[in-house]
Amino acid sequence: MSQNKGQWSRLDRLTETLVDDILASSDAELLAEAAVDEDNGGTLARRAFERASRSVVVRRSRRNTYTPPGRRLAAANIRALDPKTARGWLDAYLASNPETAGQLPRAARRDNTLSDEDVYGMLEALQQRGVLTQKPIEQGRR
Amino acid sequence: MQPRHSGASLLTRVEVKRSISALTAVDWLRLHKVARALCRDAAFQADDLLQEAFQRALDGTRQCARTLDIIPFLAGVMRSIASDWRKARKRRPEMSLVTATGRLQEVVLQVRDHGCVADEVLVGNEEAARLQQAIFALFADDAVAQSLLEGIMDGLAGAQLRSLTGLSETEFASKRRLIRRRIDKAYPRDWTS
Repeated sequence: MSQNKGQWSRLDRLTETLVDDILASSDAELLAEAAVDEDNGGTLARRAFERASRSVVVRRSRRNTYTPPGRRLAAANIRALDPKTARGWLDAYLASNPETAGQLPRAARRDNTLSDEDVYGMLEALQQRGVLTQKPIEQGRR
Repeated sequence: MQPRHSGASLLTRVEVKRSISALTAVDWLRLHKVARALCRDAAFQADDLLQEAFQRALDGTRQCARTLDIIPFLAGVMRSIASDWRKARKRRPEMSLVTATGRLQEVVLQVRDHGCVADEVLVGNEEAARLQQAIFALFADDAVAQSLLEGIMDGLAGAQLRSLTGLSETEFASKRRLIRRRIDKAYPRDWTS
């Protein structure tokens, strides 16, 4: 077995040397070789890159599609808001939905004592229930 | 436990994509030549190997140090993938397919018959020896090239390899190129072509 492996290893070493030579060759030498050989490898390599780029985009978008709605993504989006904007969103919602506002503790309504965490939590809950109007959130606002 | 590289020492995925997108025509050509050389003793295509290497670089599976040029980095990724694919094929006699998205998928055709292992060793051994003879025969007119080939296959490199032939650096580089060119012409796709 080791002899078998050794025989193939000799060829592997040859391959490594050939690769090193390709990497060490000058641009002019490679272009001259390509002209002689009518080598279209450059075009094929570029196409392989384009296929790889598309594939990475497709896989990323699939990952996003399969994420359960209203879970991680929703929470992450809401938490990307700065506290003032988040409070503005909640105020806007409560202003257009007075029946919901009526359910808040009176003290919270009167003194505006909701903490930032309360505000984020309420917005996330509203978003999960699908009652919060979707708005674009700027990246890194927080 | 070693800490992972800090982000600053590695190219980001966007930077990797930008670097590859900016490659020149000869860079693309160089990468394809490297892929072809690595595929010569394997049952996969240069385009598939390249695509897989690009994907791993783009999705961050393989990360490029800022101190490394993108071409040697991609060549290293291809070397690593080619080695893995060759080992996988040796472990299991199965057909490998590359999907439209470029990911290698394996379809098991049959369970390995362990009774055949001894025969396979003999056949593999003979095949490799025969192949080496055929490669040496390509240089029947060039004793220096044959001597260089022997040294390469024995694992010599650099100055040690050059001293074997008594060639100057320039002559040595020319001879090494001649070896590569003749092998390219004799075996454009794989060792059997």
